[in-house]
Amino acid sequence: MFDAFPYDEWSEDIADFWTFGGEGSTGTWILTVLGFAVMLIAFWGFVVLENRKLTHQADRLKASGALDRPGSGGTTTAGLGA
Amino acid sequence: MVSSLISTWLAQVPTPEELQQQITLDSQVLGEQFYFFTVVIMWLIHVGFMSYEAGAARRKNVMSTAMKNILTIAVVTPTFYYFGWYIYGCFEEGWPKHGHSSPEVEGLDILVGFCQNTAPWAAQMGPNLQDHISAVFFLAFLLFSWTTGSIMSGALIERVRLSAYLILTALLGSVVWIMDAAWGWSAGGWLVTGFGFHDAIASCVVHGVAGAFTFGVLLNLGPRIGKYTTDGLARTFRGHNTHLTLMGLMLIFTGFYGFYAACLVIQSTIFPGWLNIYFSPTTLGAIAFVITIGFAGGFTGGWFASRGDPFWTLSGGLAGVISVSAGADVYHPSLAYLLSISGGMIAVWAGGYIEKQLRVDDAVGAVAVHGVCGFYGIFLVGIFAGGYPTGINNIPSSMGGQLMGALAFLPLAFLPGYAVSWILKRLNLLRVPPEVELEGLDMAEFQQDFYPEFERVPEIVIEPDGREVDGAPVLLDAYWQTTNGRAPTPVGAGAEERS
Repeated sequence: MFDAFPYDEWSEDIADFWTFGGEGSTGTWILTVLGFAVMLIAFWGFVVLENRKLTHQADRLKASGALDRPGSGGTTTAGLGA
Repeated sequence: MVSSLISTWLAQVPTPEELQQQITLDSQVLGEQFYFFTVVIMWLIHVGFMSYEAGAARRKNVMSTAMKNILTIAVVTPTFYYFGWYIYGCFEEGWPKHGHSSPEVEGLDILVGFCQNTAPWAAQMGPNLQDHISAVFFLAFLLFSWTTGSIMSGALIERVRLSAYLILTALLGSVVWIMDAAWGWSAGGWLVTGFGFHDAIASCVVHGVAGAFTFGVLLNLGPRIGKYTTDGLARTFRGHNTHLTLMGLMLIFTGFYGFYAACLVIQSTIFPGWLNIYFSPTTLGAIAFVITIGFAGGFTGGWFASRGDPFWTLSGGLAGVISVSAGADVYHPSLAYLLSISGGMIAVWAGGYIEKQLRVDDAVGAVAVHGVCGFYGIFLVGIFAGGYPTGINNIPSSMGGQLMGALAFLPLAFLPGYAVSWILKRLNLLRVPPEVELEGLDMAEFQQDFYPEFERVPEIVIEPDGREVDGAPVLLDAYWQTTNGRAPTPVGAGAEERS
């Protein structure tokens, strides 16, 4: 080609230039499996960490008595921000 | 001397084969740039959804609302890379009957082998000097996937767990919507090749399906505490920043131009240069006409149906565009104007019906705007564009074909949303504890108020009769009813007494 890359032959020889191997190689498979596993762990982490935060805050609010019904230990609207 | 120059010049003149190679490369690079920049513009949709929903949330929930939109990107991107794109490539026949070869459609050689190119270990799914299109085409579809998640996120705000939302949005963005796209939004999809299903700019395959999925989730999630009176009448929670909401909607509209453009296939070497997703000819100008006048009609319809309500006027614009998107490649602008007015009005009416009659608390009207108008859009094609050819084999679009699409997509969308949210509910992982909901999710999730320089003022709730009252006693009363094991307003209950 009249205006091709100076490394035209290189580009034809190596279509995909992946780290740790090309299409379907062992390196690519390992990276894919690792990425997939980390993705699943991230989902698990989102659930567990949020559950911990929510449970802690709900327990704290219940213990504070801020949301108690009148006559059952007093009530206040503290914490009910807009 | 002269003869030497001429011979040198002649030696540099490219051969026809070289010229053909150059034109092909130029065309591919043009396509690569085109999809890349549609992706950039489509990011604005997500900026918009984040602003829109954060503004619609009460002050105590602003960051937890925004965080959903941000983390949509964190979960839908890898899931779509690892299996979502593969579903699009391989499930066009409902199930991959031809394995990695993709269906054999007469005249569609491009599809052969598409399936195997969509696996995450394929050469097309990484840096590749011989392929300018696969990566950017994948990215455009990824942005559509984020959009389906964002459509759902607004409806669930102020009581859904972030983690539950992330699981649901990965399911919607990387399985459900992309499955329906394989069936009805690809040239080889069984709904297209068998029935001439026509949804050119994704009225139903993106918006309708996301809305139906969201509706299934909302049935299990239930309304926000205090949303309904004990008589089942709807209260209104005022969003903390309407300006942010309106700006967010305007950003969504801007991003929609990228969305619309990305729905086309650019083929600069073949007349007329543009194809719709089914490889039927159209032009970028044709769809730009429709989207622009669709917004105009939608705003008008929304304004009149809501009697000037700012939120519903802008939502009407979105509804108007969604209503005409399915036929945007063939509609005349005047037809699109008329149809989008009706779409804007239907969204307002449907939103009121869902909130007040069905008692489903959709915080931003997503089911009405996206779900109802998405399905409305494909029926409009059956009426107003019936007979227009769809796909490479020119199968006429028809009401029957559109109905077949609706019958396929409604359960495909609704059932997974309902089933998975039901499971999360049973595991007590769907909704935040009522104490946290009452105080606001931001304190639990982030331990801070995100407007520290502004004094906290009492929360205002608008009663069904329009009175603005102090929200604290109302919400506490509803909380006590909830924690006593009696939900303030079961979903769907009481509709008989009112009717």
